Amino acid sequence: MRHPLESISAYLDGELSGGERDDFVAHVGSCGRCARELEEVQAVRSAVRSLPVLELPRGLIPEADAEITPLRRHRGFWVGAAAAVLAIVVAVAALVTPAPAPLTADDLASRFGARVSLDPAFGPAKVVAPRVEQGLSE
Amino acid sequence: MESVPLTWEEVARVHGRKIYNFAYRLTGNPADANDLVQEVLLRVRKGLAGYQPGSFEGWLWRITRNAFLDEIRKRQRRPTNPLPDELDRWDAATSESADAAYDRISLGDDIQKALLELPVEFREAVVLCDVVGLSYEEIARAVAVPIGTVRSRIHRGRKLLRELLT
Repeated sequence: MRHPLESISAYLDGELSGGERDDFVAHVGSCGRCARELEEVQAVRSAVRSLPVLELPRGLIPEADAEITPLRRHRGFWVGAAAAVLAIVVAVAALVTPAPAPLTADDLASRFGARVSLDPAFGPAKVVAPRVEQGLSE
Repeated sequence: MESVPLTWEEVARVHGRKIYNFAYRLTGNPADANDLVQEVLLRVRKGLAGYQPGSFEGWLWRITRNAFLDEIRKRQRRPTNPLPDELDRWDAATSESADAAYDRISLGDDIQKALLELPVEFREAVVLCDVVGLSYEEIARAVAVPIGTVRSRIHRGRKLLRELLT
């Protein structure tokens, strides 16, 4: 029986064509030797991929010091997962945070510097937007 | 079409860290990695003017591995000295049982040490695949070999790593 041993890494890396992949999977399903080899190569592959990503020493390339880019494209999953977790945290935080008290005229005035008219003759307080100067001051 | 960095500074910003990780995993020490990164960026700077639109990744990594190979040829005239503490850890590990050694596969020092023991063509193929994250096609372009050769080198490199780590 011919064992497709050199296809093991290509299979793990997603580099087999559809037909090759189907043949490989069918073979490994019935071949103990290839199944064991697949497991061993997978362990080594994972170990190399788990090597820590090293940061560029600061000052080595001053142009690159401020840049943060993903090193491995195949780590995109983790970036997506982290974004999903962050989104959930934000959503939960929004749910558990008590609703803010209704804004009062004084709140608006202090936040936006608006003038507030409190003339009782006109009912509830009115908020008047601050006057915006047009053009450059002379 | 793949977007192409137009300036040396953009190449340094976008790819500097990847080049450094490639250089470190191939050379095994920060001083050599620093030198290699500087050499690669110097070559990129000189070569950008004549760059023909195509696969920028293939072009960049071809320059990078050629710089590495040139450095190896220079080193053949003067032996390299691995970091002493790395050697000590490796020697101490050899007295462990096979099971314990297998458990240590996840430890970076041993993997780095084993990578350095691979033949250069296997080492660069494994690092370009597993550290840099290139596809087999991109590796084939960078190394200028058929894709079947890339497939074989990556697999044989991993098999050798497995033997070195157990």
